Amino acid sequence: MIVNINDIDQIIDLKGRGKTAVIPLLQAIQARYNFLPEEALKRVCDTTDITASEIIGVASFYHQFRFEPAGKHVIRVCVGTACHVKGSLLVYDSFRRELKLGKERHTDEAGDFTLEKVSCLGCCTLAPVVQIDRVTYGHVSSDKVDQVVHDFQRRGRKSQKKAVVRMNGDKTDGEIRIGLGSCCVASGSEEVRKAIEETVSLHHLNVKIKHVGCVGMCHQVPLMEVVPVNKDASLYAKVKPEDVKSIIHRHFKPDNLLQRIRLKLFDSLESVQSDTNWSGIERYSLDMREKHVSQFLGNQIPIATEYRGVINPLDIEEYISKRGFLGLKKALKLTPSQVIEEIKESGIRGRGGAGFPTGDKWETVARQEVHPKYLICNGDEGDPGAFMDRMLLESYPYRIIEGMLIAAYATGADSGYFYIRAEYPLAVTRMREAIRMSEEHGFLGKNILNTGFSFEVNIYEGAGAFVCGEETALIASIEGKRGFPRLRPPYPAQKGLWDKPTLVNNAETYAQVAYIIREGSRKFSSIGTENSRGTKVFALAGKINRGGLIEVPMGITIRKVVEDIGGGIAEGRKFKAVQIGGPSGGCIPHWLADTPIDFHSLHELGAMMGSGGMVVLDETDCMVDMARYFLSFTQNESCGKCTFCRIGTRKMLDILDRLCTGKTGANDLEELEKLAEWTKKGSLCGLGRTAPNPVLSTLAYFREEYEAHARGVCPATRCRDLITYSVNDNCIGCTLCSQRCPADAIAFTPHVKHEIQTDKCIRCNTCRQVCPADAITVK
Amino acid sequence: MVSIKINGKTVEVEQGTTVLKAAEKAGFTVPAMCHNDDVEQFTSCMICIVKEISQNRLIPSCSVEVTDGMNVVTEDGEIAEARKMALELLLSDHVGDCEAPCRLACPAHMNIPLMNRLLAEGKTDEALKVVRNDIVLPSVLGRICPAPCENACRRKTINDAVSICLLKRFAGDEGQITASQPSLPLNGKRVAVIGCGPAGLSAAYYLRLKGYRSVILDRNEIPGGTLHYSIPDDRLDKALLEREILFIRDAGVEFRLNTEVKAHGFSSLVKEYDAVVIATGDITEEVSSWGPDHNDKQLLVDRNTFQTSLPNVFAAGNVTRSARLAIRSLGQGKEAAFSINQLLNGRPLTGESRPFNSRFGKLMQEEFAEYLKESTAEKRLLPEQEGASFTKDEVRKEAARCLHCDCRKLNDCRLRDYSGMYHASQKRFIYQERKPVKKYFQHDIVVYEPEKCIKCGICVRLTAKYQEKLGLTFIGRGFDVRIGVPFNELLEKSLVKTARLVAEACPTGALSLKEHKNN
Repeated sequence: MIVNINDIDQIIDLKGRGKTAVIPLLQAIQARYNFLPEEALKRVCDTTDITASEIIGVASFYHQFRFEPAGKHVIRVCVGTACHVKGSLLVYDSFRRELKLGKERHTDEAGDFTLEKVSCLGCCTLAPVVQIDRVTYGHVSSDKVDQVVHDFQRRGRKSQKKAVVRMNGDKTDGEIRIGLGSCCVASGSEEVRKAIEETVSLHHLNVKIKHVGCVGMCHQVPLMEVVPVNKDASLYAKVKPEDVKSIIHRHFKPDNLLQRIRLKLFDSLESVQSDTNWSGIERYSLDMREKHVSQFLGNQIPIATEYRGVINPLDIEEYISKRGFLGLKKALKLTPSQVIEEIKESGIRGRGGAGFPTGDKWETVARQEVHPKYLICNGDEGDPGAFMDRMLLESYPYRIIEGMLIAAYATGADSGYFYIRAEYPLAVTRMREAIRMSEEHGFLGKNILNTGFSFEVNIYEGAGAFVCGEETALIASIEGKRGFPRLRPPYPAQKGLWDKPTLVNNAETYAQVAYIIREGSRKFSSIGTENSRGTKVFALAGKINRGGLIEVPMGITIRKVVEDIGGGIAEGRKFKAVQIGGPSGGCIPHWLADTPIDFHSLHELGAMMGSGGMVVLDETDCMVDMARYFLSFTQNESCGKCTFCRIGTRKMLDILDRLCTGKTGANDLEELEKLAEWTKKGSLCGLGRTAPNPVLSTLAYFREEYEAHARGVCPATRCRDLITYSVNDNCIGCTLCSQRCPADAIAFTPHVKHEIQTDKCIRCNTCRQVCPADAITVK
Repeated sequence: MVSIKINGKTVEVEQGTTVLKAAEKAGFTVPAMCHNDDVEQFTSCMICIVKEISQNRLIPSCSVEVTDGMNVVTEDGEIAEARKMALELLLSDHVGDCEAPCRLACPAHMNIPLMNRLLAEGKTDEALKVVRNDIVLPSVLGRICPAPCENACRRKTINDAVSICLLKRFAGDEGQITASQPSLPLNGKRVAVIGCGPAGLSAAYYLRLKGYRSVILDRNEIPGGTLHYSIPDDRLDKALLEREILFIRDAGVEFRLNTEVKAHGFSSLVKEYDAVVIATGDITEEVSSWGPDHNDKQLLVDRNTFQTSLPNVFAAGNVTRSARLAIRSLGQGKEAAFSINQLLNGRPLTGESRPFNSRFGKLMQEEFAEYLKESTAEKRLLPEQEGASFTKDEVRKEAARCLHCDCRKLNDCRLRDYSGMYHASQKRFIYQERKPVKKYFQHDIVVYEPEKCIKCGICVRLTAKYQEKLGLTFIGRGFDVRIGVPFNELLEKSLVKTARLVAEACPTGALSLKEHKNN
């Protein structure tokens, strides 16, 4: 790799020479070269304040950075919680086989593909999910990876048509809304959007195409809503590009007869040529009055997600017209202490995990007499089963900005930062645009709304480290250091960014602030329970019928969420537990499903609110495997600073590995408990202190499963080393399994019952997936 | 000023003082490893955990600043458990030997690697001093010892063990022994040693060194016990035994030969002397009648102190358990002397303590090269004639084959000290194959052994503070984090001004000075 020194110098000129520029510099260099060439880094050390020790320390801390070139395309297999329970590791292994990757290798021989695991792509309802460059594939199973790779290569050869949308002045016949949240895009809404644009353009329809943020009904994506003028709106779910034309024509007619005839001709021709299996649009139509839709939406109270599916994320005029910035205007008429009082009255607690009373935090910052003061919006959502912050940042950027402005006014902060996770490019783009728009409209910058109040805000992109969701680590990261947390106190409210008072709140917290001020604290505090007021956004996923993003009142029971909103367990299986709070949380068993979801009762049960990931598990999920899954996550994300977290989490994982692979030693369960106890008590920061929760809660409620594993039995038949695959009498001798077995463990014996050679079997589950007769038994 | 209570004692310290420093001021030492006064705190090792009573909370004392009214205890059961746990976690990821396997295998615990290094440098007299610290009859043992040390020698995995026994023989034969370790002036206390075999000679010699008047009684005419009477002349030239016994006599030990001790005589010895050591070899009917508890095979002793059921009577050698191993008897004699010294000084009788030892299993193939970096590739050298001794030249060559398995921070490793203090077990949390040992010698004065590192980052902070151009840095994160030189440069370039500083500040043997102090 030849590095052009001029390029590097340009990047340095752009990003700065101070120590804090290190992460943006590394990001720019990697964007340019797709990895970090050594000459480039040396050039940075030679010409900036950044030392060799700092640049290597930082670059090797964050997972985003690569020291080796990657392949032309990057395949990211999501191993988030929802994907994990749906078998993403099998998919990952299958990709390794497909790409013929040797041990320790991640890029194929030809240098075409690099395979990576990614914590969460935020498309939990489409699990298991795989992303190749910008194309996302949902519901990928281990027997389909060849198709996925093939499809991706085919796409690359096909040139994309560019659609032109013609608009006939102001007069429109209606509006078509299409969700463009990350999950919608992942499910193919981008393709649907193109199809809409093509149809509209081809047939010269006077229709406004509107991009809206996340609708929340992620189990039905892509969603398309058609709103003709003066007529009822219709919502279509799981739309495919090929369906678009029919849906549109159902509502809008082309503007002249000739067009109509042409259209008919076109359609009849096309339907002959294509083998589209079209069974009528009714199948896709959702009636808002239908029971399951009303159950999904009816139990929710949108505050952070107000106007969801309606509002265009970046349309500031529309935001203003929908009562946007009213909260800010109202706040600016109050004194800062009155604002804080209002926030305290509302009872809102931090939505990021620990649930610290927001008003108290604001008050502490406000009381500091040091300036400058900073404000940070924590959007470093790292829970592998949660994507609330992403959705809020992508869909409601102005609402979050408004919340931050109110907080800044109340605490006397001078400037603020968005800290947004590296894996959220769309959120960064939208937020950048939203900041620009807000500045243009006088909501950000100097002398806001002519009140003399000034506030500016910058975006800081994370670089791939879960621990940076911890506020002291987040601050270290903005300061250009490794994301090491430090001991609190002093709290950031007293001594934060550059040792100055700093308010750190989660994106969701800010998203609810404007509502509280606008509507009054009483309205907010009337929702929820005694110790947990208001609503909470959850990412509902796992083994339920209807997953998605939901905003529910605090205190709603787990049962109501699972059964009413989620529509119960999918595939007629039994509800086993719900994992709340991700790697810091715990598993609540089905017999405690009537527990109200609030800070207090979750804590009592050994779980925690966490960031709001909620993954529902059924009888086929192994609780030891769940604990192992989360421990492998936290172990991988531990910063490595303190002994208890660095080594303690690893040792717990070692024991869980032993349990899941049948190599258990005598005291393993006792030692596991000891390790959990001390990692909790002795770790420096929240990551280590909560890392044992998934283990402790499963041990508390499902100890017999641990004991079974210690005897070499996995009751849920999930743990690969403890199970065997065999063929039962349902076998019809079709040889499909034999043909697809990647390990040659099934002999090709047409019309004869097949047999699996256990010693060859790699438990990839392919046979079970391809068998048409349900003839594969796992024990 | 802030006033806080530590272990019940109130101290006044300045605002901003850490609890660790406040405890120090109050006269309490809190163990800590990642703390270094020269650089800002990092809160990594968690050994400095103490308890704040009012909130019943464990806190890392190196990083928490005092606040008014704090009430801290620095030691209790829970704190000890926390520290032990932290140490055990660190140990599970610490691959390295404290003492070399040969030394641990030696019943007399002789500092073999140091002897080897001195011999390799041609320092025979100094080598002999090292041997005599533990083995009072080197020439004799150099001929009759079955050498369990060689069986444990790591070099054996690569090709053949180092010829430790022959090297020791050379030191004993050729080393000058004048006043190597002068005996302390007599302190007025007396110890009688019954039996003039290896255990008795050893006990008497080390007692005399410590200032006791030590008197050996033996029924035979010639001293040496089994060494003289049971070993054939062709295996052991008795002139050598005589020479080494003469050395013991010169050190001030009194010999009363032809003196049979009977039950009555024994009772008088116990009364007349401050302590008595029974080192008679066999447990005869006579010995059985003296009083200390016994069975038909052995006198019963405390295995740490060698004390019998009579408080001032000790026993060592075959009489406590017939092993017919001279080196073990020698070792026990030495340890009994140590215990008697404790007893007669009014200190708690514990016996010689066994310090904590980090150890790992066999060398792996890929580690041979790492260990050979400090050694020679030569095959084992044996004298041309069977039974012959090494020449001086051969000694230097053979001794240079030693792999220097022992740690350079043997006596100033905090991980070792604290692990001993809190009785940490290294094996407790070892579930996986260990990481392979690596050693870096390119630097002039510093050796880097990354697998001994506990990731406390003192070296990283020091090189940053003193503005090394490259310095050291954390590479990676989490469990796999390691300390390395940026851009994979050599240590030589990384540590230009701070080499000695970081090696001395490293709390373990990860970074150490190449030079060997005579430890």
